[in-house]
Amino acid sequence: MTAPTSTKPAPARNRWSRLVWLVPAAILVLAAVVLAAKGLRELPAVQSFLTAYPGESELPHGAPVGFPAWLGWQHFLNSLLILLIIRSGWQVRTTTRPPAYFTRNNTGPIKTRGKPAKISLHLWFHLSLDALWVLNGAVFYVLLFATGQWMRIVPTNWDVFPHAASAALQYASLNWPVENGWANYNSLQVLAYFTTVFIAAPLAIITGLRMSGAWPKDAGRLNRAYPIELARAIHLPVMFYFTAFIIVHITLVLATGALRNLNHMYAARDDTGWAGFAIFAASLAVMTAAWILAKPIFLRPIASLTGKVTR
Amino acid sequence: MKIVVLVKQVPDTYEDRKLDTAAGLVDRGACEPVLDEINERALEVALRYRDGNKGTEVVLLSMGPEGTASALRKGLSMGADVAVHVLDSALSGADLGRTAAVLAAALRATGFDLVIAGNASTDGGGGVVPAMVAEHLGLPHLTFLDAVEISAGTVAGVRATEHGSLGVHALLPAVISVTERSAEARFPNFKGILKAKKKPLQVLSLAEIGLDPAFAGAGRSAVVTAAERPARTGGTRITDEGTAGEQLADFLASARLI
Ligand SMILES: Cc1cc2nc3c(=O)[nH]c(=O)nc-3n(C[C@H](O)[C@H](O)[C@H](O)COP(=O)(O)OP(=O)(O)OC[C@H]3O[C@@H](n4cnc5c(N)ncnc54)[C@H](O)[C@@H]3O)c2cc1C
Ligand code: HEM
Ligand code: HEM
Repeated sequence: MTAPTSTKPAPARNRWSRLVWLVPAAILVLAAVVLAAKGLRELPAVQSFLTAYPGESELPHGAPVGFPAWLGWQHFLNSLLILLIIRSGWQVRTTTRPPAYFTRNNTGPIKTRGKPAKISLHLWFHLSLDALWVLNGAVFYVLLFATGQWMRIVPTNWDVFPHAASAALQYASLNWPVENGWANYNSLQVLAYFTTVFIAAPLAIITGLRMSGAWPKDAGRLNRAYPIELARAIHLPVMFYFTAFIIVHITLVLATGALRNLNHMYAARDDTGWAGFAIFAASLAVMTAAWILAKPIFLRPIASLTGKVTR
Repeated sequence: MKIVVLVKQVPDTYEDRKLDTAAGLVDRGACEPVLDEINERALEVALRYRDGNKGTEVVLLSMGPEGTASALRKGLSMGADVAVHVLDSALSGADLGRTAAVLAAALRATGFDLVIAGNASTDGGGGVVPAMVAEHLGLPHLTFLDAVEISAGTVAGVRATEHGSLGVHALLPAVISVTERSAEARFPNFKGILKAKKKPLQVLSLAEIGLDPAFAGAGRSAVVTAAERPARTGGTRITDEGTAGEQLADFLASARLI
């Protein structure tokens, strides 16, 4: 019993017209930051701070050097999955008429007492990718801690903070820190990777689970303490965090010695040849293909393997 | 067996549908035209029979304007073998009688053992085209079937009545119409979409199905006036202060709903 409201979205012009002042404003702010950082670096006190804290915290004794091949695999699978996870999550959020619905067959290996809920095909895809992503992440955690590789992305000394401040200042003044990610990440990288792996990813999982059908509906006290609205309010900003991280991450990877960085992660070697780039290019091709093929017409037959796909 | 499925392209109900109030016709540009869902179900009934019976041919027949081809392609991608499109400028604004006469003539031209239609279209909603077609052809007609059983020489089905359900059957050739409960339509798959591009889609004019545009008995109704439905008003909001139940009952009683 509400008054009729227009279902037409506001004209697109409004959305883009804001860019007219947003873009110049952003450029001005950036220029101001760069100038301020350059100015700061002239100060003797700041110069001695930069000498004391060049930007990377020393690794604990016995930390491994270099990138094992498994890290490259894990990292690639993670990139591929998260690309599709972000897209499918966004589709869950923005689609008003899903292309199809999915109801899980309650017969196979996963059998529940309750009746499986009917979900949109987008959400089915999101959840299926999530399962693979969690599996990939679990393997990553195990390998990370089994090989000591964790020491490279978990801060072990409070001095990461001044080091990170130093690295940030060096980035901001456009006089970038000399880094050698093969041996050690700079402290800003360490903090960013740590946040992504050990804060953002678990947050996405625990909030996603809360919204999913896997969460118990009748857990009275627990559900009052952790309402679904709270999970929804956190899940989306976590996606924004991931997106921002990925944009900055890739930009810096490509801007700070692309060939060498790509060799580290994609070819497990520390030189400036083209091997890493070639594998990276191939991985981009795989991601593009997955993006193009992730359409209802191809997802429906896969979804029908474990459930009923209906309108 | 040759099964002809009558299909109609209709404006998508998901969007706001519009009437061109000056001409009294549907504004076809206002929203996306789609294959009527009830006809997808009718097609599904035919396809299920064909799945189990080699040598069955499923033909789509539609009368409609230019863009109807896209609805027919959709039906072909779901699995129909052939599509026939009756397209003629003399058919613009055809009413129920004219539509049925044309479809009957087209059916005579294509030949058939069984004709399957939807019980009522989503846009016109007349619900009588199938009966009129059957009358034109002088054939038995089973209407509003919730379930259909096709076999070599007969068609049987179940239709709901006010007091229960009715089992009905007829010898072929026959015309039937099906309801929303008849079948859950399949999605076209990738192979189907590729194959649909190569399947025959025949376009026929009135002359080609043997009808003179001024055919006998084609008294044509004209829309005299059409007006937009007035916007809905706010309605009544009932806040529960312990008497909501009574207020609801009063509201329903005053609107003569109970
Ligand atoms: C703006 C407007 C004004 C109208 N004015 C009049 C009028 O003045 N007088 C009048 O008699 N009618 C009028 N109509 C009705 C219109 O002519 C009918 O929509 C049309 O004749 C088809 O009937 P239906 O869709 O109601 O068919 P239904 O009987 O509801 O259709 C049932 C089934 O018949 C089959 N079928 C129906 N049409 C076709 C088709 N074209 N091609 C293939 N199969 C088909 C389908 O299987 C469908 O599911 C008007 C419609 C509109 C939108
Ligand atoms: C296709 C895009 C990507 C490219 C090209 C890329 C490239 C790289 C490179 C080259 C490194 C090593 C950095 C160095 O040597 O200094 C690295 C590390 C890392 N990347 Fe990416 N990356 C991509 C996407 C992602 C995504 C989507 C995430 C997570 C959401 C991510 C998370 C990480 C993490 C956590 C590390 C540190 C890994 C470790 O050492 O344990 N990357 N990436
Ligand atoms: C195990 C991990 C995850 C699970 C179980 C999960 C689960 C879910 C569920 C159930 C929804 C639907 C919410 C609803 O019905 O409204 C959803 C939405 C969404 N997910 Fe996830 N998700 C996970 C990881 C991620 C990740 C890693 C991202 C992005 C980086 C992401 C991005 C989104 C977005 C953008 C939405 C739409 C949110 C909204 O409508 O506000 N998800 N997710």
